[in-house]
Amino acid sequence: MLRYWSYIAILMTLVSCSGDEDAVVEDLEENKELEVPQPAYFPELTYDINENPPTEKGFELGKKLFYDGKLSSSGVISCGFCHMQEFAFTHHTHRVSHGVGGALGTRNAQPLHNLAYKKSFNWDGAAAHLDAHFIIPITTEVEMNEEIGNVLEKLKDDPSYQEMFNAAFEDGQIDTKNLFDALAQFLVMMVSAETKYDRVVHQGTAEFTAEEQAGKALFESKCSSCHSGELFTNQQYMNNGLPINPQYDDKGRGRVTGNPDDDHTFQVPSLRNIEFTLPYMHDGRFDTLEEVLNFYDSGVEETPNISQEMYNENNVPGIPLTEEEKEKIIAFLKTLSDVDLTLDERFSEF
Amino acid sequence: MRNKEVFFLLPILLLLSCSDDDVQQELTTELNLTFDHHVGGEDLELSGQTYEKNAGEHFSIDTLKYIISNIELQLTNGDTFKYPVEESYFVINEKDPSSLSIDLEDIPADNYDKIRFGFGIDQSNYPLNGVDNFVPTAEENGMLWSWSAGYKFLKLEGEYGNSIAEVEQKFLYHVGSHGENLDNYKVVELDLGETLRLDQDGQSIRLDMDVLKIFNAVHAFEIAEKDDIQVDPVNAPKIAENMKNSFQVDAIVQASE
Repeated sequence: MLRYWSYIAILMTLVSCSGDEDAVVEDLEENKELEVPQPAYFPELTYDINENPPTEKGFELGKKLFYDGKLSSSGVISCGFCHMQEFAFTHHTHRVSHGVGGALGTRNAQPLHNLAYKKSFNWDGAAAHLDAHFIIPITTEVEMNEEIGNVLEKLKDDPSYQEMFNAAFEDGQIDTKNLFDALAQFLVMMVSAETKYDRVVHQGTAEFTAEEQAGKALFESKCSSCHSGELFTNQQYMNNGLPINPQYDDKGRGRVTGNPDDDHTFQVPSLRNIEFTLPYMHDGRFDTLEEVLNFYDSGVEETPNISQEMYNENNVPGIPLTEEEKEKIIAFLKTLSDVDLTLDERFSEF
Repeated sequence: MRNKEVFFLLPILLLLSCSDDDVQQELTTELNLTFDHHVGGEDLELSGQTYEKNAGEHFSIDTLKYIISNIELQLTNGDTFKYPVEESYFVINEKDPSSLSIDLEDIPADNYDKIRFGFGIDQSNYPLNGVDNFVPTAEENGMLWSWSAGYKFLKLEGEYGNSIAEVEQKFLYHVGSHGENLDNYKVVELDLGETLRLDQDGQSIRLDMDVLKIFNAVHAFEIAEKDDIQVDPVNAPKIAENMKNSFQVDAIVQASE
């Protein structure tokens, strides 16, 4: 009898008063929970997956939504339009994002990976939570230019969505919460840790070349105070001394906090998959990693709120690098590329 | 687990999981909340009507909208009844009379002496407790900062000047939370003044909000000093503090049908 009571205890938490006993048993079997990959050496998850545990059906729905232009006012700009898988989910070769009607944004689309480990989202941290982020691209005029309410109406008019929301969520509602939860379920599964760096440093199944090894040492002495940890970012908002582009005069974090001390600071990006995510910087001004390192070597300006980290031992802003050092650092950065992520069929549009 | 066992257990389960219905058979009732806005001793009229505030400034109001949330009633025995959080987000909009009257359902018939509600959205809940489903309502009412994925808790817009004749300079106060690092959410707690005895007949709490207090409840604002306040880490928290102190309970009345 004790056994039955423990069954009851388990089932009690799952069964509501709907009385549809067969459906309950079937649903449990059909909509399996997915495991979010958590490499042992990654930081703790910031996304509370207990609140929104990814399931097969939720993931499938999230993927359909991610690639569906219905989320935009014109019907053709999907999330995947600016976040292309081949390029670690960035808008390859586009300096700034392109939106509805050819509108141009002011910032370079950020890569999508390891989002379940991020503390805040967007170049300026405007969204403190992944689920809140979706509001920004969907409603911003120069991106998808749509209202959340309209998106929900369009989805409700599509019988295939009603079916998928039913399969993915207990209440089956096509509402904002389930829309955002499904997108989040798709995105938090994009964990990227299958790189040469991971194989060498954490799995012991590969070795760096001499050049990569030297690049790693240089990186650690010159770059890793900001690009720190296993995600290669301290997740802070900092000004790296990038000359201010008068075309945008982007205040970055300052626009979110209203604090002048945050003007022109931007999120320190992760360097995982940096080889694929060109162009670089928040406004996509540099096309190559060589240009990026040339900037750090000789292009840093003392703009307002420049980070103290940008000053070298001579108290001059910049990170002096020889050509040889640049090559070595780039060789190391290329060991952070995860080709599997760019090919993984689970995340592919087609 | 074998299916046979499941089906053997299901009748028990259904009984057990539904058994707390018995407890919920205590009496519940509706409660109406009505929001009246005034300026000092006068009723608030939008667009055109001018009023005098602190610092000798005159002003008129075109838009007054704010978000309330997390409604709670305190019982006379000190316990708290929390209205379901996911049902408790509302935009109060002076321009839309239907928004000024909120019907709460399934309130236990009991005796209460305090009401609490939030000004804005409590970030500690975000994005839980159904606040996501408030997005379309906030969007329709223009209470969303799309670029910062946040809510505008208050929109106060109008004109001001040094005399009635000069009320033509625009002013605009938009107050919300700024990312995760400045939370302007406030809890408003009000004594009901008398015991609210909720029986089966619905009753109404009439709440008064004094617009003058937005300018002067705790922190005095001279509009001319800064007539455009948005995402302002110095002034926005002060306006939120003033908002918190601008409500009072006017009366408890029998809700009109």
